Amino acid sequence: MSEPKRLHPIAMLLNVIKAIKDMLVPIIVVVVFGGDKDGLAGTIQLVILGSICLFVIVTAVIEWFRFTYRIEEGELRIESGVFVRKKRYIRFERIHSIDVSEGIIQRLCGLVKISIETAGGAQAEAVLSAICKEEAERLNERLAEAKRNKMLGEQPEIDLIAEPVIKQESVMTFRLQFPELFLMAATSGAVGVVLSGVAAFVSQFDEIIPFERFFGEYEDVLKLGTFLLAVFAFVAALIVYMLATIGMMLKYAQFTVEKKEDELIISRGLLEKRQLTIPLKKVQGIRIIENVVRQPLGYATVYLEYAGGSEADKDSLKVMLFPLVNKKHLQKYLEQCLSDYVADVEVEPLPARALPRYMFRRAIFFIPVIIVFIYFFRPWGYVSLVLLPISISWAFLQYKAAGWNITNHQLLMRSRGLSKQTILFHKSKIQSIESKTSWAQQRKQLSSISALIKSGIAFREGKVRDVEAKDFDAVQTWFLKNSRTK
Amino acid sequence: MELQNQISARTLKVWRIIGFLECLITWIITIAVLVLTIIFDWTPWIIGGMIVLSVIQPYLGIYLLPLIKWRRFRYEVRETEIEIQRGIFVIKRTLIPMIRVQHVETNQGPFLRKYDLASVEVSTAATVHTIPALDLQEADELRQYISKMASVEEEDV
Repeated sequence: MSEPKRLHPIAMLLNVIKAIKDMLVPIIVVVVFGGDKDGLAGTIQLVILGSICLFVIVTAVIEWFRFTYRIEEGELRIESGVFVRKKRYIRFERIHSIDVSEGIIQRLCGLVKISIETAGGAQAEAVLSAICKEEAERLNERLAEAKRNKMLGEQPEIDLIAEPVIKQESVMTFRLQFPELFLMAATSGAVGVVLSGVAAFVSQFDEIIPFERFFGEYEDVLKLGTFLLAVFAFVAALIVYMLATIGMMLKYAQFTVEKKEDELIISRGLLEKRQLTIPLKKVQGIRIIENVVRQPLGYATVYLEYAGGSEADKDSLKVMLFPLVNKKHLQKYLEQCLSDYVADVEVEPLPARALPRYMFRRAIFFIPVIIVFIYFFRPWGYVSLVLLPISISWAFLQYKAAGWNITNHQLLMRSRGLSKQTILFHKSKIQSIESKTSWAQQRKQLSSISALIKSGIAFREGKVRDVEAKDFDAVQTWFLKNSRTK
Repeated sequence: MELQNQISARTLKVWRIIGFLECLITWIITIAVLVLTIIFDWTPWIIGGMIVLSVIQPYLGIYLLPLIKWRRFRYEVRETEIEIQRGIFVIKRTLIPMIRVQHVETNQGPFLRKYDLASVEVSTAATVHTIPALDLQEADELRQYISKMASVEEEDV
């Protein structure tokens, strides 16, 4: 397997699509703001567009031609580049995981895309955008072999060993059921993203889409009044909402978490398949989010904080462990996946004297708003007084939600912004802890505590405001005992 | 329990110089606004506010805030952990176990160099924690000490 190989030719098409995606903004600018489409200016525009297309296609072909990979001396060697030649040699022991995903194009051709992640996370990893499944399988086997050799402390002789490897059993630990999938998609808030996308799109194109003519024909209809307009807007919003829901369902359909040796394998997607392999030792913590819609229904979303992923791939930075899970079953699933963590614990509530501070924080946010409304929009401005009970109950909910807990090696921190957030930290993964005490807090013997873990390419902070000042000492003692005995 | 070590007293001078330079910028802007107000007949409110700011800022930025900041900043480097206390209005206390330290470096900007000082920056996998100014020699020793203590145990992130 040492002769250089190229990707499947369909990679050329993928290169073209990627290039177009990267140049979308300039292309839109040229098309929309190009102005005069007739005469000489129009011809020049066409020529420019044409040559850009030609350039993109030629580059894509050369890119495919130049991109070769091979396995040699225990390394994956990739050579690529059109203008700048790049050689990237990755030692097999350095590879942490191989992620397999299938886009629509790959699925149609029976291919897969594999992303190779090395330690360090932030480092650019290698991506083979289109190779056949058997090839991916072979690469995976080689990797597993190299890892085993490393564990045995032997010199990896990867090129010589061609023995079939015994596959480790993987255990299915979580599967997203259809009702949950539906509920998750319907309450995800993805509709906001879609709506803003549509708004941006429409505002981009209102110059070329003849809205006036379109609506001119319906002028009579519009005259029927605001009621019909409202109905129209409602139906439009409903359709967008449904589309967003379906989109989310396609994205998270067939969501499963498997545990295999010391790895978690998270797979999802109906049209576009994605598989993420996360070594257990890279898991830094667990984040449980209960948003306002899901919490009353008893459901939560669980995210995995792990040291890895790359900035180029946003999905790899925010990893869902359980997209939607009934809180009653959360502990059971968590035990199967990551037995180090316990979600089923009672939190230490805040002292009652913290409540006024929670109230105050919301009040300084809402009261100026109310004053401005009443001052400028009398008498309707008085309606803004409803914000007062809202802010009070919000503050109360935040106060009720906040708390912390220490169970064995785990620190739990819970707080609420709008959604309730619970973070589980394993003490061996906490990078640092901090307490913050303002003058007002000091008077009441309160302080805010926080802990940091690595997450993705940055960090994640867990924070509880206004706990007993002596609580930090307890956390500190627990934390230090850990690092001394380690 | 207060932490033991304070940062160098010369830090105060450096912070005051920086505070003075910031005031200088405010004064220049104030003069520019004053001139523009006279030429274009703007409302006097803006220039009034600017003048108040130019008077208050030196007191806060050169005298008071550096002093509080300097008094508040304390640190302790022990065998197994580093503890830092900092802040002006809000006191922040940070605890970093030695085994989480990934690397440590000393830095010297132009102002610090003039006063023979250096800052010590301790990086974990998540963030960087800074001790803003120590005697150059002390900073070097501290860097070497932390580096030695941190490398006792290597652990994957």
